[in-house]
Amino acid sequence: MKPFILALVLLFSASSFSQNKTIAAGEKLTFTASYNMSGLLTDFAQVTMETSAIKTKKSTLLRLKCKARTFSKWDNFFKINDLYESYVNPQTLTPYLYKREINEGGYYKFMKYTFNHKTNSIKSYKKKRRSNGTYWEENKNLSIGGATRDIVTTIYHIRNLDIDKAPVGSSDTFTVVFDNKESKVRIKLLGKETIRTDIGAKECYKLAISLDGSDLLKGTNDNILWLTADANKIPVYATFKVAVGNGELRINSATGLKH
Amino acid sequence: MRLIITIAAILAAIIGLALSILPFGSIALIPIILAFILGFIAFKMAQKEGKNTKLVKVVFLITIVGLAISIYRTIFDENVVEDDIETINRDKASEEDAIEELEDLDIDE
Repeated sequence: MKPFILALVLLFSASSFSQNKTIAAGEKLTFTASYNMSGLLTDFAQVTMETSAIKTKKSTLLRLKCKARTFSKWDNFFKINDLYESYVNPQTLTPYLYKREINEGGYYKFMKYTFNHKTNSIKSYKKKRRSNGTYWEENKNLSIGGATRDIVTTIYHIRNLDIDKAPVGSSDTFTVVFDNKESKVRIKLLGKETIRTDIGAKECYKLAISLDGSDLLKGTNDNILWLTADANKIPVYATFKVAVGNGELRINSATGLKH
Repeated sequence: MRLIITIAAILAAIIGLALSILPFGSIALIPIILAFILGFIAFKMAQKEGKNTKLVKVVFLITIVGLAISIYRTIFDENVVEDDIETINRDKASEEDAIEELEDLDIDE
């Protein structure tokens, strides 16, 4: 499941903490993830992206939550139950805390990053389950670039970009921290396209995604994301080619949108 | 040649049956159709050579069972996610932990 989530996530990124004009608390997007073999699809998981307002003593933050769950029919064979979340500034989408808990067919891993934007560093905590059922933990302090984001924040942040002002064929490179490593993600605007989805026919921005220095996302123009060409810039469809084959994400519903 | 085609048909039929039992939906139709075509060729060759066709008939039987399961699952299996109490509690606990951790954070600073 990790490649699917990463593929979705790496479709987004940006280089600065600009004002949030797109994401509001209470938004919920639901997707179906499918595996594609010779044009025949098999649906295997539901992916949800939710936002909610979180109140602490001194601030109100925005919780960005992405969940991936296998459909019940798969649970007896290979159960996936992943939770990715980020707690961000609602005005700028600056991340303060990132957590990732993955449960995939007996494999368990938990990662947490606490961001310090004054020192451009993160405090990383990792917890993993060994094959004998015991756990091991690791704490690290990592230096990061000023514009580095976690994977969840970047998903949402791309929707804040002024894609309408970008010329077709333009590309940009962004930095995402994942598994304690910073990776460069390249995004290229391929153009506009109208596609049919479960929420209607939508005019979309078509973006190609690739990951520098990694073979996780194969090919250059095989990983494509379609974002609605409106003020909400909802991801409605994505295709990706990873080591285990081809997959796609299709939107099922979108509620609580800001615009 | 007939033996090779028969073995290939058996393998395709077994893979098709396995994929149809697993919830692979219409993807199981690929090996099932392949098994049927190879089985048909093997059957005709066996008939022509006057050999026993029992093994090929077994291939057809497995293929039909796999096809029936696959069609049934494609039509009746729904994409439902079981939101168990463990997951709901995990979400809640994660949020509570985060609030505790970010308690002293002042985003206006």
